Amino acid sequence: MQRVPPIPATQELPMTSSAKPPYLGFGLGLRPQHYSDILDGSPDVDWFEVISENYMVPGGQPLRMLDKIRARYPIVMHGVSLSIASTAPFDDKYLADLKALAERIEPQFVSDHLCWTGVHGVNLHDLLPIPYTREALDHVVARIGYVQDYLQRPIAIENVSTYIQFAHSEMPEWEFIAELARRTGCWLVFDVNNVFVSAFNHGWDAQAFIDNTPADRVVQFHLAGHEHNTSHIIDTHDALVPDEVWELYRAAVKRFAPVSTIIERDDNIPPLSDLVAELGTARAIAEDMLPELRKKRAS
Amino acid sequence: MPMPAPKPSLPKPSLHEVQALLQAAILNADDHVLAALTDGAHAPRHTLLGVYRHAYTARLIEVLTRDYPLLRGYMVDDQFDRLADAFISAHPSRSPNVRWFGAPFPEFLATHALASGHVQFAELAAIERAVADAFDSPDAPVLGLADLAVYAPEEWERLTFSLHPSVTLLEGSTNAFAIWRALKDEEPPPTAEPLSPSQHIVVWRQGTTPKVRLMHDEEAMMFREAGKGVRFGVLCEMLATFDDPGNAPARAAGYLQSWMMSDMLTSAALSMRLRRLSEPNLPMADQ
Repeated sequence: MQRVPPIPATQELPMTSSAKPPYLGFGLGLRPQHYSDILDGSPDVDWFEVISENYMVPGGQPLRMLDKIRARYPIVMHGVSLSIASTAPFDDKYLADLKALAERIEPQFVSDHLCWTGVHGVNLHDLLPIPYTREALDHVVARIGYVQDYLQRPIAIENVSTYIQFAHSEMPEWEFIAELARRTGCWLVFDVNNVFVSAFNHGWDAQAFIDNTPADRVVQFHLAGHEHNTSHIIDTHDALVPDEVWELYRAAVKRFAPVSTIIERDDNIPPLSDLVAELGTARAIAEDMLPELRKKRAS
Repeated sequence: MPMPAPKPSLPKPSLHEVQALLQAAILNADDHVLAALTDGAHAPRHTLLGVYRHAYTARLIEVLTRDYPLLRGYMVDDQFDRLADAFISAHPSRSPNVRWFGAPFPEFLATHALASGHVQFAELAAIERAVADAFDSPDAPVLGLADLAVYAPEEWERLTFSLHPSVTLLEGSTNAFAIWRALKDEEPPPTAEPLSPSQHIVVWRQGTTPKVRLMHDEEAMMFREAGKGVRFGVLCEMLATFDDPGNAPARAAGYLQSWMMSDMLTSAALSMRLRRLSEPNLPMADQ
């Protein structure tokens, strides 16, 4: 039984008025392979995003490392298992652990994906798509409201890469997301690669996604690579950011910047210096388009 | 038991119906969801649905490979993948955190037909699991020699100890520990063989590093009983029945010291002195 109360479609939630998270500059997804390089050196990285679930463990080295890195850098918590769009009840322990971690490390904000990960007590550990219907919108609005109340902070929601589309969707993805942000006051993580992947797979215009996303709600960019299989693109997050994603990034910077940005590498993790170099490309593009960022950095 | 796939109420299934259909498609190769999908821009819908189906199994095999890397290397051909496939089918993940997905794998290996005759598989997996669990188990204080200095010699008999939460004591009926050690050192593993009596393998965390070592019978017995809260005096009596009673207290103190030096203990406390049944008017306990 769903324990999230339905919320009227037109109701605005109080979280809308929460202060926008600050601009953080250029960061990386924190990966255990890089702990010692980060703590022993001073990599040219402004902040780190952590996978929340990696630190929702009882104790030991992961939390110790996170505490040390948190002492030096701003942190954003990015989850993969909130399952905000699921029709299954929330997992109480998961939410309690997420809240405890947020209270421990005081992140700049907490984010997860517009997706579901399972029903009937099963978790498929994937970011699964939803039909963009008014029914789904009401459902996700109610769930975001519940989580924001529970965590006592607004969350940010990220667009996922999708491979399938539902025939009975009633609106494009960007309209669904814009409405979600308007009704819940949630922030948005704009994954540039995911937009590119989904646009190719479904044949829609990535620029339309950018043009119709509310600029004032976007608090973070994700940049990553993918695997092109000719007939479809698979979002692997395991390769260099390709030229076509850099191109889309330029368009996103033009509309949304300045926005806190990370390179999000999830597999085939290269040395930290490689990722810092790739991050330099993102920084250079943004600073070329927005010279005030370069001045701000120099000061 | 797979959930039966619901019939789609097309043309507009509810969100719950969509999720039940897609989950059935991924877990049970059920194709009903295809009726609710459109073709992609460059690929038909069944090809695109296949991305999710493939990713589900591939991702969980990757998780098991990460959790059991030595077992993966020890098994031959596609033995690991076949067992992992069978495990994934039999044990769909119930936890939001994939960290816990592979926890039942050692028990699964102990009973599955594909691992029959290879008891060392389950025992090797159990060691790897205990190491992974020790790595991020709860933090707790570590008992040091100075902590025991507050107790008078006559109080030692009543001391009880708490094991560090990272501790696991395993029983090995094969030479799985020798196999584990060889694989960890990147050396050829010895031929698997049964052991009689079985071996006692203790896994714990020292600082941030998981540790593994053998315990011989007497030490393991005392360790297990200490973990149950048995008083030091009783532990010494138990050791007296195991070997030379004359130096049993010295042996017990030696084990205790080695456990403390290795961060295996968290705390010590004085146990309550129990009432004698012949003295009914005394308080139930004093401390």
